Order: sequence, then C-alpha cells, then structure tokens
Amino acid sequence: MADTENTPGNSMHGVSAKEKAFAFSVASPIMPTDPIAKFKLPVDSEHKAKVFKIFSLASPHMTTFHLSWLSFFTCFVSTFAAAPLVPIIRDNLNLIKTDIGNAGIASVSGSIFSRLVMGAVCDLLGPRYGCAFLIMLSAPTVFSMVFVSSARGYIAARFMIGFSLATFVSCQYWMSTMFNGKIIGLVNGTAAGWGNMGGGITQLLTPFIYELIRRAGATPFTAWRIAFFAPGCLHVIMGILVLTLGQDLPDGNLNTLQKKGDVPTDKFPKVLWYAITNYRTWIFVLLYGMSLGIELTIDNVIAEYFFDRFNLKLHTAGVIAATFGMANIFARPLGGLMSDMAARPFGMRGRLWNLYIVQTLGGIFCICLGRASTLPLSILSMILFSITTQAACGATFGIIPFISRRSLGVISGLTGAGGNFGSGLTQLLFFTSSRHSTATGISLMGIMIVCCTFPVALVHFPQWGSMFLPATKDSEKSKEEYYYGAEWNEEEKQRGLHHGSLKFAENSRSERGKRVGSDPTPISATPAPV
Amino acid sequence: MAARGLLLASIYLSLLVHECYGVTLFSSLQKTLQVTTTTKRGQVLKAGEDKLTITWGLNQSLAAGTDSAYKTMKLQLCFAPVSQKDRAWRKTEDHLNKDKTCSFKIVEKPYNKSLQTLDWIIESDVPTATYFVRAYALNAERHEVAYGQSTNDQKTTNLFDIQAITGRHASLDIASVCFSVFSVVALFGFFFHEKRKARMSPQK
Repeated sequence: MADTENTPGNSMHGVSAKEKAFAFSVASPIMPTDPIAKFKLPVDSEHKAKVFKIFSLASPHMTTFHLSWLSFFTCFVSTFAAAPLVPIIRDNLNLIKTDIGNAGIASVSGSIFSRLVMGAVCDLLGPRYGCAFLIMLSAPTVFSMVFVSSARGYIAARFMIGFSLATFVSCQYWMSTMFNGKIIGLVNGTAAGWGNMGGGITQLLTPFIYELIRRAGATPFTAWRIAFFAPGCLHVIMGILVLTLGQDLPDGNLNTLQKKGDVPTDKFPKVLWYAITNYRTWIFVLLYGMSLGIELTIDNVIAEYFFDRFNLKLHTAGVIAATFGMANIFARPLGGLMSDMAARPFGMRGRLWNLYIVQTLGGIFCICLGRASTLPLSILSMILFSITTQAACGATFGIIPFISRRSLGVISGLTGAGGNFGSGLTQLLFFTSSRHSTATGISLMGIMIVCCTFPVALVHFPQWGSMFLPATKDSEKSKEEYYYGAEWNEEEKQRGLHHGSLKFAENSRSERGKRVGSDPTPISATPAPV
Repeated sequence: MAARGLLLASIYLSLLVHECYGVTLFSSLQKTLQVTTTTKRGQVLKAGEDKLTITWGLNQSLAAGTDSAYKTMKLQLCFAPVSQKDRAWRKTEDHLNKDKTCSFKIVEKPYNKSLQTLDWIIESDVPTATYFVRAYALNAERHEVAYGQSTNDQKTTNLFDIQAITGRHASLDIASVCFSVFSVVALFGFFFHEKRKARMSPQK
C-alpha cells in the first residue's frame, strides 16, 4: 500500500474547514483509503466503506445496508403484527389476560436462543446465509397463524415467529464487515433503528390491512388470519433478495473466499471461548437488556396502558404506541452518531460516557412515565423515554464491534439475546401479576434501568481506558495489536490466522481520540505470509 | 416537533370532548322493562347459524305514563360474570360510557308499548362466551333511562352459551401450506445450487 501511515503532524482534519461535522464519512489520511480496491465508495485496508451514503444503492456496501435493515424490519413487523390485533384475536380464541401476557413473553423469548445461534452461524457461514435461512424458514411460522384455534396454538405461533428477531445479529454483523470502525456507530444505529421501527409501523399497518380485508367482505375472525399473509410474503420476498443481491464481505462471499484461502475458517469452540471469557461481553448483555429489552416490553404493553389508564379509543392508543416504535427512525441512529462524535475527541472513553448518560436518562424518563397522571405529561415522558432508550441501543452497538474481533458474531448474538431476556424478565416481573398496576410496574422498571446501567463504569480497555480510568501506561499492553492479538495463541499466530485482527487493530486506533496524532506509530511486527 | 405538538393538542382536545358527554350511571336506571329469551339450560348456540328468540317490552304491571320519556329501544348481548373473569376488557363499570359488559348490539328500534319478539341470527363476530340479553330504553337525547334483562340481578339465571365460528377456512389453510412450502423449497434450492457452483469452480 502506497498511502501514508498516521504520523504526527500529518492529520489534515479540520485544516480546510471543509470536513463534515458529522461522522458520515472518514476523511483521508486519518483512515488511509485503499487505492487499489475498485469500489464505488472509498474503502479502507479491509475494503470496508469509509463513507455512509444513505440513499445510495452502491454495491456491495450500500446494497448490503438496505437489504440488511429491510430484513430486520420485516421480522419486527411479523413478530409484533399480532399486538394491535389482540382485541380481535382474544375474542376469536377466547383468551384470558394470562394468555395474552404469556404470548407477549413468548414473542420475545424465542429469539434469546436464536440470537445466540445466529452469532455462531455468522462467524462460520457468513451473515448472508444466516439472514436468508432465518427469514425464509420463519415464513412458515407466520403463515401458521392461519391455523391457530386455541390459546396454546397462539402462544406457540408467537414464540416461533419471535425466532426471526435473530436477523438483528446478522444485520449488525453484516454492517461490521462492510463499514469502517469510525462510522460503524452511526451505520449500526441506523440499520438497527430502522429495523426496530418495524415494531412501530406494524401497529398502524396490520390494523389497516385487517380493515381492508374486512371491507372486502371477510368476517373479523377470518380477516385477521388473512392479514398475516402480508408479513409472511414479505419474509419470502426479502429472503430471495438477500440471496440474489447480497454478499458476505466486500470482496465476495464467505465460502468462495474461504475456498480461495483469503479468509481462514475458524473453530467454533475457540470463537465461543474468547466471547464468554471476556467480562465485557456479560456487562453488555445486562446493559442491552435494559435498553432493547425495555423497548420490546413497551412495544407489547404501551397501547393497552394508554387505553386503560386514560380511556382512549383503541386506534388512538395504537397511534401513540406506533409513535413510540417509530421514534427509532432517528433516535437509534442518533445514539450511534453521538457515540461516534464522542469518540472523536475522547475515543472509547467518550463512547462509554455517552452510553451511560443516555441510558440513565432513559431510566429516569421511564420513572416519569409511570408517575405521570395526566395525558399530555404522560405522552411527553413517553416520547423522551423512547428517544433516550433507543439512543442507548444505538450507543451500545457503537462499542460492541471493539470488544472482540475474532468473536464478534458470538458477542453480538449474546448481547442480542440479553436484550430479549431483559424483555421477558421485565414483562414477567412487572406486567404479569396483578400485585401492582401497570403504572407502578413502569416506574419500578425505570428504577431497575437506572441501577443496572452503573456497570458501564466497569468496562475497561487497556489501550483506551474506561469511564474513570485512563489507558494503561504499559508500552506493550497499550497497543491495540496486543489486545486483539491476545485472542490468538502462538501456534495460530505462526500460521498467520490473526492477520484480520491485526488489520482491524490498525483501523481501530481512532478509538484513542485526540491522542492518535501524538503516539508513535507501531512498526508492523509480523511479516506477511509467503 | 410541530407534528408532535399537534398530536398532543388533538389528543387533549378529544379527551375533553369525551368528558363532556353525559355521565349516566347504571345504578340510576329504573328496571321497568322485561326481557325473555327462549333458550334451554346448557344449550350452546352457534354463531352465524343459530337463532335467538327474544321477547321484550314494558313491564305491563307498572303504572301508565312510566314510559312517557322512552323514544328508542336498544337490545344488547351482554357477558355473564363467568366470561368477564380474567378479562379486564369486558369489565362492568357503573358509568355507562365506560361499561364494557354489553358489547354487541342486537337491534335498535323506535319504542313500542306492546311486547315485541325478534328472531335474531347470531352474528359471526360474536365470541365464545356465556351471555344474557339486556334492553335499554333511550330518551330523546339518546341517554339511557330504563333497562331490563333476561337474567336476575346477580346475573346467574337463564344464561346461555354461544359458540363462535373458528374463522378458519380450508382455502386459507391450503394457501398457507403452499406459501410455506415455496419458501422452504426456494431457500434450499438456492443453497444447493450455489454449493454446486462453488464446488465446480476451479480452486486457486
């Protein structure tokens, strides 16, 4: 590569005053552009895009972005499609409150397991197959709603449809392979946020489709079943698009590259080991349960809450419920953007503080929502709550790609699973028993969020620091190469398997924040394999 | 931001409008009407198929002039307590605006002094539950002023069961299976096709 490395005094950032203020792109020579690669967008040494052009369809980077978020969006639509139709379904199937509550818990529990598996699948088979397999194999579960005739069948169907939420993991993983680390916060936040928006859109879409079918002459108890064909067909269409238009990595598909010898195949037990022995993984599992988990719980509970507490009409309550989910269109990308912006001056420490502040604010507004006794105050609290909680989700995934390079898939999977577990747990603790009202349940949930966000302070990276501690002074441990190289043993390093991690370490030096220019550039130690 | 403000304002306004509506309490109504249904104990009626025969009218033993304000009669299908259990969306409230006991309207007719009979074919959107029938008399402002029901005050006698339609159809079932099979076959077709292509391409 002929381009210049980062040497002190060479950074041109800010000099011309023409650089964009927001992290939509990474300018050279902060991140050297690979001049040999032939892509429509400027790319770095791993051929990941340095620029995020939202409205472009440039292959492979932006095509991947759109395929990825649309697949995830589709799965959210089908998982929560039943929620606004519950008033009809509960009459058709003769459900009681416990059945409805259990179905809500079931809808988010299925994906705890599937997100774990998806992480491994992405590491081993690639995100393209992972996404396509899941979305096309869960289409029959959506169509199975047509057969449901009892509470048990309903709960089982919602449980199985919920498996499809694992497309979140393939979505985030795919973004991490296609976009550079400096903009990954924004990219991941946007993709996931627009996907999560499906949970809000479905509160408007499904009743609308149901109404159309009813006007066409179907009886209510048949019309809701037909309405499920819409998300089902979306699954099939998106699956086919992913298979025909998508690719795993910027350079091609995983199995083709593995055969060519460009990407070494890895062993699952090792990948799993490095994921579970990294303590940061478990802290983020808890944290994500308190941001995404809460968001999913609210998706299931909020329409009913407004309907009961303020005696609103069902469709008014549905509009409010939709507003909560649709704030994702900007709130989650905002969280990723704020993470990237905080990282420019402060590096990883900025990202951690950003996450802590935003998620704690989410908890505080949740407490306000539970305690608000007038409708306008309640709606205001809900809006602020939705923005901060969803921004926290975005901020979380601005940090996750840096925890590990080797086990990114499994860690993404574990974190995603933690999100769903948090949702099931909070629904069980606060919204199933009649010991306290829904309003009290919401307030108690807010207190739980605030308490469980403190562990962010414990996340420490030796090369970058943590919330309260700076980076280590040790000359060896303060290098990114040391941290990412530690995931490979000597034998694997001899075989050159860790080169992907080394490239990643080089590109992740931006997480030092302003210190990048003043540290001497490490000499690349290992020679390229012959 | 402006859209949010508009949403807030409109919701607040609609709530105010809702509150302005008459606040009629069920406990304030007089029980002057009589309603009977011709159902046998333990009989299960099928929605969409079976008929319910209802006879209703003013209790003839009352003084003349009791019904001077009655302009319209409304017959409704109401849930018995056993079908309201664990179902907060069918809860009985004294405020008639908030009361969810009687969700299904059978018929609404101008008031007639004499006894009326109706053969009502149970509609297909009626859920499986235990029911009784209630009649309301409405005055000129369409507020409830009197009522009568086919069961006693504790809602324990003369209740009948209705079995809802399943909502399922053979054509829907077949369509669902076809779409599902297509999805699975398309997926594995692609997968094996690509695997074959990769195996056949020369390795470097």
